[in-house]
Amino acid sequence: MTCQRCSREASVHLSETVDGQRRELHLCGPCARKAGLTPPDPPPNAALEAIVDHLIVQHVGELVGELARTSCPLCGLKFMDFRTGGRLGCPNDYEAFTPGLLPLLRAAHGASRHVGKIPRKRTPPSRSPRLRLRARLREAISREEYELAAAIRDQLRQEDADQ
Amino acid sequence: MNLDALTRTSGEWLRGTGPESDIVICSRIRLARNLADFPFTNRASDTEKTEIERICRATMDKAGLELDYQSVVNLDALDRQLLVERQLISRELSTGEGPRGVAIGPRENVSVMVNEEDHLRIQVMNSGFSLADVWEQINTLDDQIEEYLHYAFNPQLGYLTACPTNVGTGIRVGVMLHLPALANTKQIEKVFRALHKLNLAVRGLYGEGTQADGDFYQISNQQTLGKSERELIRNLSEVVPQIINYERQARQEWIGQRRQHLHDQVSRAYGVLKTAHTISSSETMHLLSSVRMGVNLGLIDDLEIRTVNELFIHTQPAHLQKIQGEPLEVDERNIARAGYIRRRLASDNQAAEERE
Repeated sequence: MTCQRCSREASVHLSETVDGQRRELHLCGPCARKAGLTPPDPPPNAALEAIVDHLIVQHVGELVGELARTSCPLCGLKFMDFRTGGRLGCPNDYEAFTPGLLPLLRAAHGASRHVGKIPRKRTPPSRSPRLRLRARLREAISREEYELAAAIRDQLRQEDADQ
Repeated sequence: MNLDALTRTSGEWLRGTGPESDIVICSRIRLARNLADFPFTNRASDTEKTEIERICRATMDKAGLELDYQSVVNLDALDRQLLVERQLISRELSTGEGPRGVAIGPRENVSVMVNEEDHLRIQVMNSGFSLADVWEQINTLDDQIEEYLHYAFNPQLGYLTACPTNVGTGIRVGVMLHLPALANTKQIEKVFRALHKLNLAVRGLYGEGTQADGDFYQISNQQTLGKSERELIRNLSEVVPQIINYERQARQEWIGQRRQHLHDQVSRAYGVLKTAHTISSSETMHLLSSVRMGVNLGLIDDLEIRTVNELFIHTQPAHLQKIQGEPLEVDERNIARAGYIRRRLASDNQAAEERE
């Protein structure tokens, strides 16, 4: 089947029901990306991950190994990725990686508690429903559950429009 | 904003006015902020970055901020470099990927970068040593923006940022200093060591990893957590006057001990700039640094500091090519640079004569 937006082979197939009307979408990878429906990353190589895990535990100990295996449920970043790249992936990482981050913050700032300006509007990141919704959208796409992905995307758009 | 017009104007921070402007070029504060509902820029998809950009632009409109938004994706390499030279965007935003941009204030003293390392990097710059004023401006701007957004904030850790080195206040307080006498007498290294002990960072003109061409040094806080914004500003405000005194003392000692030698060095530098037919960027910075100090010490009396400050920026590669209206190779730039400097200095001298 060819893509409905160009002549390439379609690899993403989506059906959704809008106002009782069933609609089908068949898109190639690049057009799906443009439409905000990114094709899934290739599945992780489970055997290789297990070997790496084992090596980490063997060389740096159980506690650090546990930290290294920790990943953020919302953005998927692993603590080890952060240690390599130096950048966190989302506001929730500060909660997900607290035991690993606090020693780093103390070393960098000599402190681990904020003193200073406080915004008038506050949304605790772990309870940020939209950050969670975006995580579910990414997850749905990676599982190729495109109907669910489209529904979440519509919900996000609707909330944006209501704001 | 017409970017070509930037080559005919000069930003507020280049005015060469404000307290201690013989040594302090400008005072700058930036705040790093992120939206609570999105992954940080490095982890966000292009679709999410587009959304972040849309929300930030709409917020700035709703808040009634009179800023001009430029999508960096739509700018060519020369225009991006022009904004970097002008200190309005970072090199990171210039070379980054995906939807991103900058909102610029009419006097160039405000710039808000979108989708840099953090979703928002708010920056305010003023001429001279005026950190308290800059803080008042940026704090108000931050409040106006926050009115329409949910910032990522955690009661224990403060404003959450992509890099933990910015978490807490998210503030970077900096001053750009011109320290030719300390650099010349090698006393600058002692200053660096002292600043390092006070948790202050020293960088070159264009930030991390750049050389202190033209004897310009940026000094800024490194700590962002555990101290309030006002405390961090106060720390820097207490240290900078000491460096200013140290530089002034070094200049006076220099002029006291070797007046003729110093006068000769300054005059020769001025002479080369007025007559050269080809000149590199690095030599220009070096000579302008001498001339700038010469004007401040009264050794040159027919030139304004503002002109010297502008020449530092307008002779950078992108500015020069925009002024010439065409891309130039290195050799061509060196010729164009020398011509531009000769013309600017001649018209400034003429204006000085007319005033007399």
